[in-house]
Parts: sequence; C-alpha cells; structure tokens
Amino acid sequence: MSTLARFRSAGYGRMLAALLFLLVYLFPVYWMVATSLKTSAAIFATPPQVVPSPLVFSAYSVAVINNPATIRAILNSAIISIGTMALTLVLAAPAAYALARLRLRGATVITLLLLITQLLPAIVIATPLFVLFARIKLLNSYPALILANTTFTLPFAVIVLRPFFLMVPAELEAAAKIDGCTQWGAFWRVILPLVRPGLVTVAAFAFLMAWGEFLFALALNTNEDVQPVTVALNKFIGQYGTQWEKLMAVSTTIALPIIAIFAALQRYIISGLVAGSVKE
Amino acid sequence: MAQPQTQIDERVRARHQARGAWARQLGHYLFVVPALLYIALTTIYPIVSNLRMSFYDVTVTTFLSNSAPFIGLGNYRAVLGDPAFQHALRLSLVFTGGSLLFQFTVGFALALLFSRPFPGNGLFRALLLLGWMLPIVVSGSIFRWMLDGSFGIINFALQGLGLLRGQRFWLTEPDYALLGTIIANIWVGIPFNMVLLLPGLQSISPTLYEAASIDGATGWQSFRHITLPLMRPVSLSVLLLGIIYTFKVFDVVYVMTRGGPVDATTVLPIYVYNLAFQFFRFGEASAAAILLLVALTVVAVGYLWLSRREEVA
Repeated sequence: MSTLARFRSAGYGRMLAALLFLLVYLFPVYWMVATSLKTSAAIFATPPQVVPSPLVFSAYSVAVINNPATIRAILNSAIISIGTMALTLVLAAPAAYALARLRLRGATVITLLLLITQLLPAIVIATPLFVLFARIKLLNSYPALILANTTFTLPFAVIVLRPFFLMVPAELEAAAKIDGCTQWGAFWRVILPLVRPGLVTVAAFAFLMAWGEFLFALALNTNEDVQPVTVALNKFIGQYGTQWEKLMAVSTTIALPIIAIFAALQRYIISGLVAGSVKE
Repeated sequence: MAQPQTQIDERVRARHQARGAWARQLGHYLFVVPALLYIALTTIYPIVSNLRMSFYDVTVTTFLSNSAPFIGLGNYRAVLGDPAFQHALRLSLVFTGGSLLFQFTVGFALALLFSRPFPGNGLFRALLLLGWMLPIVVSGSIFRWMLDGSFGIINFALQGLGLLRGQRFWLTEPDYALLGTIIANIWVGIPFNMVLLLPGLQSISPTLYEAASIDGATGWQSFRHITLPLMRPVSLSVLLLGIIYTFKVFDVVYVMTRGGPVDATTVLPIYVYNLAFQFFRFGEASAAAILLLVALTVVAVGYLWLSRREEVA
C-alpha cells in the first residue's frame, strides 16, 4: 500500500498514461518513417511489417536525392520560407515595439485589426490576391508567395512580440536617449537585443508556417521552378500512386527541417503557440 | 500603465517637448506604418476588391479585360441557390462539429493529465506537439496511406479487432470519405486544444481541490463542481477559436481527397477554391468567400469579446 502511495505521489501513474497515449498518438509519424525505409514489396506485406526488414534507403535515393524536382522544390521552400521570415521580422518588430511602448493613439484599434486579420480564412485572401498579382504580373514568382505568406505570419508575429517588448524596463530606453540615442537608435541598439527570445520565437514560427503553407502556393503559382515542397508532394500523390514508400520518403524529408527546428527551439515555440494561439 | 516619474523621465520629456509633440507622434507612427501599409495592401485591399468583385459578373473572359458588368446581388443569389453550396455548407458543419468534439474532449483529458507534475511531463508535452507542427500536406499524406483500402494499417487493425469485415476504401467511398478527413483533422488538432486548455487548468488554485477533498469530495465531484465551472470561459474561447480554424480548413481535405469522391468532401473552402481556380467564376467565388468571411467574423467577434472580458476579469 505504501509503495502504491509513493508510486502515485511521484506521478508514475500519470507518466505511464501519458507514455501510452504518446505511443499511439505518434504512431503515424513512426509509420511514415518506417514506410519510407521499406522495399516496394514490403509495403504490401500482410500482416504489415511493423519494423521494416530489410531496411533500405532506395525510396530516398529515387524520390528525393536523384529526383531533381524534389531537390528543386526543397530549395524553393527554403527560399520562400527564409524570405517570409525576414519580411515578417522587419515589419513586425518595429510595429510590436510601437504598440507596446509608444502610447500610440489608435493602438487598441490596430491590435484588434491584427487579431481579426489573423483569423481570416486564406481562401478569402487567395482569390483577390490572384487577381491583384495577375494584374501586376507577379504570379508564379517567389515574391508572390512570400508576400502572400506574410499576410498571416505578420499579424501573428506582432501579437506574439508585443508582450516581449512590454517586459523591457522603460528606464533602459530613457537612459539610452539621455546618452543621445534617437527613438530609432534606442530601439535598434538597446531594445532589440533584449527581446531576442521573442525574435527567435517569431522567426521560427514564420519559417514553420511558410514551410507548411499550401493554399497560396497552389493558387498563386503554376511554375514548377518556383513550386515549394508542399505542392510538389501533393503532385507526387498523383504521380507515385500507390508507391507509398516513395511518398513517405518525400514526406519524411519535408518533415525533417520542421522536426530539427522544433527540437532545437521547442521552448520558444510552445510559448509562442500559447501567446499567439494560432495555427494556419 | 502608471509608471513612477523618475528624474530621467522628466529630462527626456523636457528635451522632447522642445522638438514638438506633433513631430514625436509622427516619429512614433513610423514604427507601425510599414506593417499597417502591408496589411492594407495585401489583406484589406484584397478583401475590399473581393467585396467589389462579388457584385460584378467576373468570369475568365471579363476578368483580364476588366469589363465585368455590375449585377448587384446576382452572385449571392446564384451561390445561395446553388445546391452545391448548400451541400458544402452541410459538409463544413459536420466536419467542424465532428473534428471539434473529439479534438476538444481528448485535448481536455490530456490537459487534465498534464496539469500535474510527473517525470517526463515537459518532454512528453513537446513530443505531442509534433503532430501539430508537421506540415498539413505531410500529415494528410500519412493518413492517406494509413487509410488505404487495400494495404492501410487502419483497416488491418480494425480487422484484427473484429470491427471490420473485408476492405473499406475510406477515402474513395462517398459515405466514409468525410469521416476519413475528420479523423486526420482530429489528429492534427488535439495538441493545439491541449496546449491552450492547460494554462487554464493550471490557473485553478490547488487550495480549492484540497478544501473539497477535506470535505470528502470524490475526484469526480471535484471535477464536476470545481474544474468544469471554472474552465467554462477558457473552454468557450478555445471552442470558438476551434470553430474559426476548423471551418477554414482547406489543406487537410484537399490533400486527402481533393474534395471527392465527386463532391463527398467538398467543404466550403474547397467549394470556393473550385469556383475560382477550377471554373474561373471569380464573381461567384467572391460572393461565396464573403459569405464565409461574414460567418467567421461573427464567431471571431464573439471570441474577441470573450477573451477581452477574460482579460479584464
């Protein structure tokens, strides 16, 4: 009985329950990786092979490494995601600072506007953006996708960054101005370095959101040279049909940067998720 | 926002007053103007032009020449009278209701589990979020494979448990395709609900539970009379947010079924997409998009009003 009580107070029961749920919940991720390491014959084994045997990398070599379309798409995704991230930071950081610190008239209205923008369905923006970009001949280009992605990363970034600026002591800014800094100088040299955790959170989110974005890439681009991995994968579904090991190899490759960023920055990302409570 | 007036503040103020309050305010606005301009150009302008387009007969022929005739509410009449629109609306309601019911209850149960410390709590919680972080196209492809009729692991598991005889082609049988997409969407949304509900649970004072247990309350009674009532405001705003995010889901469904077979999973966002990008009926697509926008704005206003009230309280 006392052992049971100790077991319970240390939380081992909860740990077991959580572990069990996690095993079931993460099975699809495992299944993706496992499938990607099977031979095409092993895919159709009955009963299904839980652990791939033999373990082969042929799906990766065919569908990823030796497939120029995949490599190109990964490169495109990197360009679009980094572009979105940079544009988001440049626009969001000063805006969040001003909304947090500079007692602007209309700050409440602006914040409300950001919150509403963040909740808009992408499809509502996609059609008119298509028309707009068609008129200014911007369709099928990196800038089109970067500009479109930033419509949802920007409001999110401002909302998440604002509390970080609120936490910076006002005295620091005042002291910087005594030392001869302008408002901009104080922001750039004194405040920004202090909110680095916030900037990391927002940068990571902007990258992740842009990397996974699908609708804009589908609607605003038909050019294969610009096409990101998400749309490429969607095309492979038709192309590879039931060659699941290849489809899962591409899927795993797309998921890898996400998993890496997430593993490195998980602390920042969870705080950002709660602060912005958003997912596109 | 009352701050102690330090001497430093006074001196800064004096210097700034010399430069003029007007110039200072203007300088301050320069920080927000780029972002606002951006939103005006890439979000507000598109929405206004969408609204405008919804009153014109914009088709593939009139679109580039910019000569579409004004037809008043014609597009709205066409969309609202379109059986495909009514069908899409029904599907969206089922998709949203079904997804939220399970995302929320499972998310709530997990939040309860994670609200007390246990070894590995932080790590497990982070791992759970992986399902939510993956690009939707990836999750959609995984579920496409798992729900495959001939070799999918889900059919195999159901057969093993005696719950399924023969094969079920989840995503190509009209009666089951929507259910298949809902299953994938539930999987994606569970961590999101859990992470948003957890801070609410953690903010309930432990002394309440202690007092209840001293008075002899069982675990279920504590849950029923302390947890549930205190979680009502947080739950409501998570649910409203869930409605907004689920109602606009496009990618999960599109990747898994393209809205098919035929129109069995053509939820509203896919209906709008098809109108615009398959049939190039931009006028009608705009009207449908505006209807979707209005419906979600009503929910969004409710959500913002609720979360504001919570902040004040």
